[in-house]
Amino acid sequence: MESNLSTRDKTWLGLAAIPIIIYSIIPIIWMLSLSLKPSGDLADGKFFPRHVSWTNYALILTGGAKDLFLPALANSVVVCLSATVISVVLATFAAYAIARLDFPGKKLILTTALAVSIFPVISLVTPIYNLWRAIGLFDTQIGLIIPYLSLTLPISIWTLSAFFKQIPWEMEQAAQVDGATSWQAFRKVIIPLATPGVFTTAIISFFIAWNDFVFAISLTSERARTVPAALAFFTGASQFEQPTGAICAAAVIVTIPVVVLVLFFQRRIVAGLTSGAVKG
Amino acid sequence: MTSLAEDAGHEASPQAHRARKAALSDRARAERALGWRLAGPAFVIMLAVTAYPILNALWLSLFNYRLTDPNARSFVLLQNYVVILTDGLWWTAVGITVAITLITVVVEFVLGMALAMVMNKIVIPRRTLRTVILVPYAIITVVSAFAWKYAFAVDSGFANHWLHTLTFGAFPLTYDWFGGTWSSLAIICLSEIWKTTPFMSLLLLAGLAQVDSALDEAAKVDGATFWQRLYKVTLPNMKAAIMVALLFRTLDAFRIFDNVFIMTGGSQNTSTVSLVAYNQTISRAEIGMGSAVSVLLFLIVVGICVVFVKAFKVDLAQVKGD
Amino acid sequence: MRRPTAVAAVLAVGVTVGPGLAACGSNQSSAGAKPTLTWYINPDGGGSDPTKKGQAQIAKECTDAAGGRYAIRVQLLPNSASDQRQQLLRRLAAKDSGIDLMSIDPVFVAEFAEAGFLAPVPRNMVAGFTKDTVNAAIEASKWKGSLVAVPFWANTQLLWYRKSVAKAAGLDMSKPVTWEQLITAGRTQKKTIGVQASRYEGYVVWLNALIAGAGGKILLNPGATADRVKLGLDTPAGKAASTVIQQVARTGVGGPALSSTTETEALNLFSNSATSGFLVNWPYTWAALPTNGVKFIDDIGWAKYPETVAGKPSAPPFGGIELGVGAFSAHPDLAYDAATCIASPEHQKLYMLGTGNPAANKTVYDDPAILKQLPMAALIRQSLEDAAPRPSSQYYGDISTGLQREFSPPNAVNPRTTPAAATDLITSVLKGNALL
Repeated sequence: MESNLSTRDKTWLGLAAIPIIIYSIIPIIWMLSLSLKPSGDLADGKFFPRHVSWTNYALILTGGAKDLFLPALANSVVVCLSATVISVVLATFAAYAIARLDFPGKKLILTTALAVSIFPVISLVTPIYNLWRAIGLFDTQIGLIIPYLSLTLPISIWTLSAFFKQIPWEMEQAAQVDGATSWQAFRKVIIPLATPGVFTTAIISFFIAWNDFVFAISLTSERARTVPAALAFFTGASQFEQPTGAICAAAVIVTIPVVVLVLFFQRRIVAGLTSGAVKG
Repeated sequence: MTSLAEDAGHEASPQAHRARKAALSDRARAERALGWRLAGPAFVIMLAVTAYPILNALWLSLFNYRLTDPNARSFVLLQNYVVILTDGLWWTAVGITVAITLITVVVEFVLGMALAMVMNKIVIPRRTLRTVILVPYAIITVVSAFAWKYAFAVDSGFANHWLHTLTFGAFPLTYDWFGGTWSSLAIICLSEIWKTTPFMSLLLLAGLAQVDSALDEAAKVDGATFWQRLYKVTLPNMKAAIMVALLFRTLDAFRIFDNVFIMTGGSQNTSTVSLVAYNQTISRAEIGMGSAVSVLLFLIVVGICVVFVKAFKVDLAQVKGD
Repeated sequence: MRRPTAVAAVLAVGVTVGPGLAACGSNQSSAGAKPTLTWYINPDGGGSDPTKKGQAQIAKECTDAAGGRYAIRVQLLPNSASDQRQQLLRRLAAKDSGIDLMSIDPVFVAEFAEAGFLAPVPRNMVAGFTKDTVNAAIEASKWKGSLVAVPFWANTQLLWYRKSVAKAAGLDMSKPVTWEQLITAGRTQKKTIGVQASRYEGYVVWLNALIAGAGGKILLNPGATADRVKLGLDTPAGKAASTVIQQVARTGVGGPALSSTTETEALNLFSNSATSGFLVNWPYTWAALPTNGVKFIDDIGWAKYPETVAGKPSAPPFGGIELGVGAFSAHPDLAYDAATCIASPEHQKLYMLGTGNPAANKTVYDDPAILKQLPMAALIRQSLEDAAPRPSSQYYGDISTGLQREFSPPNAVNPRTTPAAATDLITSVLKGNALL
């Protein structure tokens, strides 16, 4: 990506970044602050904690809630990564076929994808719960991955179809004229061009699965519970006290690996076309 | 591809022509087979998981069925739908949901586009900015809702204090944000916008990255202003990405639940359609009525999809030509 | 045909061998199939930790006391009562045999019992479960005349007040006070009364206490089918209750964010040294006040729940937990055996000391250790004896949600119209003619 911007443009952009970063970060710092406040201070109306207390983190990492939180974290990571990988792979194939090949039923696939993802999940859980209990998938990671695929596949297919559609047709044609098979054209020409789309789709799929609550709380019990569901089991000092601090601490911890993931992949999203490849 | 074959066929003998035609349809058939082999697994998985539950929900919506009283289940055909469509609460909920959807999607699109453009061109601090912009999307929805609720609560929140200071005391310290319909909606929308703009900006960024900068440069050389370049060069070339972003974001916005549930629970007339479905299905354990609400919600959202696809005139399935 | 004798033989062996095994401690795993009873518990601050004096500890102690006949394993349920109901309902509707014991909120007992989710209480055990138990807890564990659940612990609300504020307002807190007196005191002294009026179950708790205190009942015919339900909202009692709510909202004594006040916000209001006056809340308040950094603990007193109508004794709210045995459990007899151990006075005392949740058994309140930790123990017991449970109905979810909807927000409550509107809504909903 060329950046033949003038220094003036670069400075303006750099300055524009500041309010953007502030706007994105304030609620997160607030959450961090809530997690560091001792429970008595939660109602003091201050943005920053007056006394920093690590009890919430101790509670969820080494204390009473660790048996609830740490396995949930592991489950979340495994389930969401699996769902993302499977979903992106399958969606890439499907999207390529839809955008590039001619076969009957393309519209049907796209429509089905949409219909499946927009039906309210709350009415789907009980039948799936009953089905899973009958075949023994209740409270397993696979039992969660499969419904998550129904959440992530539709948007993955649509996003990737949109991307494949925007890739110039000439590139693949050129490759085929040069003697490549459809598969080789796909692998050597299309995949590098589709990288921004694939990584975008991967990140979005991951976050959709990461944030899901309804499936998680209904289809899991102690073994396969993920983090959003585990948060519903956190308890305060008594049943009438909200475990706000602990929940915020959990959310902060859970966000760290995700931030690392994003940091790693953000470059790929824009590592796209160079003008040479299109024209050349 | 077809044109090549046709051109080639004109000059050959009928036999060779037929052979080429046969080869063509072989190729077409191979293409079809490949197409279904590639797209098949995804299609099958999507259907396998949801076909039974969706059909089950459709079927149950024709009944009066309480989970705790299965023996009293009775077939009422469309009675549930009649009850829903004649209930004031339903129409209020639809109205509120439409309002939230419009506000959030429009704001998010504008904001998301701006963010995408900054992310696209920025040099320093590129990695930080792109990561930071995406972080809100990574926060678990329920926790985000709690955090925003606490931020604007009268006793535990800082927002009133800050606003009080910023307006030099004009803003009341004890303003109850969740005490009225529009103030509650304001916070709900703010929270929703904050959380999901990254989704929009991510899709728009990837679409933006595909726009050939040579076109932009050419337009600049021709003397076009920033806005002209935006409207005439950038946006049209991102049409597919914009459509997917807007479509999915609208679908999600219409089904908003977490923020409303946690912040107001539907009080102050802020019920949304998903909340109505939740109340029937879970609080009342009335599976029949709840399924009917879900089906209606589904139909409305399908309507939105149709409108979108037709308005954008982008056919993702169309292969040849643009 | 052979089975009864086989079972009798096993029991006989168990009874003779049991004591011997118990002497060896609980590290046996002899004779393979010692059944494990799964007890679904609501989170209580003790979590799943068997040393924190919560239900998990009771489970461990009762496993040890069982002498090898069974082991009790706890499974956590989500934090909020409605989530707990969801989880249990879904499983029980699927006839889950893995639910042996469950800790149920009293308002769900009727729904579960009517749906056939609770195994019947053995007749010879009824007397044992109800001995020395407060009436409200027994009433809440009954359905259509018979006992269907085991009272475990019982909760009620007290009136907490600032002694200085009460004195300045001229209130004699040694006598019963009415809501009207409190509201006037709050208004004239510019102090707050902490109540729960957010759109959630706690609001119905308040409403029910107000109506019951005025001599009325929300539900006139418990056990009725949906189309026959008769509500007692549009009555003088209902109007009196609505008036109290309206006054609290109008005078502003409920705080600036009355429509979002739950137990936590109410406690926060009361912890504000500048404006706090009165608070109606559960006894967990006593332990939570120091944690909230409250400096005026010496200025805090407690009294019985305020009266709705002058002269009529108040009916404090009732909460707590009842133990239910799943109807599809493989070992209902063992489960009831376990329930006897769990709900025994000793364990109720342990639980009360450990978590602050008051016992359902009256004899526990005489214990000196209890009196030391909870100086208001006698008042709690008295309040429990006068407490009025919320309506007992298999449709409690509908009634409660309907009430929450019509009575929210509190400043829109009108004694002339709201009770009638609520009655209309709930009866329509129950007949299937309206959305909730």
